[in-house]
Amino acid sequence: MEQSKPQLSRKPRPADWIAAGAVVLVALALLLLPLLVRSEAVTVQILQDGALLYELPLDRDTTVTVGGDYENTIEIHGGAVFVSHATCPGGDCVRSGAIRNAGRSIVCLPNRLEIRIVGASAADVVIETEGVCRPQS
Amino acid sequence: MQTAKLTRCAVLTALALALSLLERALPLLAWIPLPGVKLGLSNIVTLFALLTLGAPYAAAILLLRAVLASIFAGSLTSLVYALAGGALSLLVMTLASRSRRLSVYGVSVLGAAAHSVGQILAAAALMGSGAVFSYLPLLLLVSVGTGALIGAATAGVLQGWDALRARREACR
Repeated sequence: MEQSKPQLSRKPRPADWIAAGAVVLVALALLLLPLLVRSEAVTVQILQDGALLYELPLDRDTTVTVGGDYENTIEIHGGAVFVSHATCPGGDCVRSGAIRNAGRSIVCLPNRLEIRIVGASAADVVIETEGVCRPQS
Repeated sequence: MQTAKLTRCAVLTALALALSLLERALPLLAWIPLPGVKLGLSNIVTLFALLTLGAPYAAAILLLRAVLASIFAGSLTSLVYALAGGALSLLVMTLASRSRRLSVYGVSVLGAAAHSVGQILAAAALMGSGAVFSYLPLLLLVSVGTGALIGAATAGVLQGWDALRARREACR
C-alpha cells in the first residue's frame, strides 16, 4: 500500500546545509542588489500629525530628535534610517529596525510620527509599514 | 485500502486546519515585524502527506485546508496567498523529495522558501506592483529558520510513523 521508493532521510544530511545555504545566498544577493544599483538621491521625510517636519538626504549621517507626547531619536546612518531611542511605551518603532529602501516607513503611533523614505526610484505604493508603535495595554 | 487512505486524508486535513488556526494565535509577528511571516505549522501535515501518501493526496489536503482555514478565520486575500505559496511549496517539495541527498530538513527548508516566493508573487499580482519584492530577501532568510524547525517537527512525526509501521509489520 505504501510507496516502495527509497525513504527520505529523517536525519539532517550535508546536502541540507547546501540547500539552506543556497536560500541564504539568494536572499543576500537580492538584499544587496538594490544597494549596488541604487545611487540616485533618496530622501528621508519625518512627519508628525501628517505635517512634514524634516526632509533629509539618506546618504548623510545625522541624528534628529522629535518631541511631542513622547520623544523619538531618529538616526540616519550608512544609508539607513532607524529609531535609536523612543520614550513611547511600546517601543515598537525602535524594534522595527532600520529601513533603507524608498517606499518603506517606520511609524510611531503614540507620538503620531511617521518616518518614510522617498526617492526617484520610489515604489509608487507603500504596501505596509515596517512596524507600528502601539501603546501597550 | 482506499478507505484507509481516505480516512487518513480526512484526519490529516482536520489536523492541518487545527494547526493553521492555532498558528494565527501565535504572536510571531510581534517578534519579526514583517507581513507574511509565519511558522507554517500546517506544512508538517503537507510534508508528511507528501512523503507517506504522495503528491496528489498532499495537494488535496492542502487545497481543503486552505479553503477551510479561510472560511473559519481569514479572508479571500489570505486564501490567495495560502494557495499560491502552498502550491509552489508543494511543487518544490515534491521535486526536492526525489533527491537522494536531501533529508526531510532540506526539503522543508526549500518548501518554506518556495512558499515565501509564491506569497510574494501573489502579492505582487494582487497589488499590481513589484514593490513587495523588497520583502522577499527577509522572508527568505526567515524561511530558512522556520523551514528547519518544521523539518525537525516533521522528522519527529515520521520517525514515530516509521516505528508504528515497523511494529505493525512485526505483528503480522
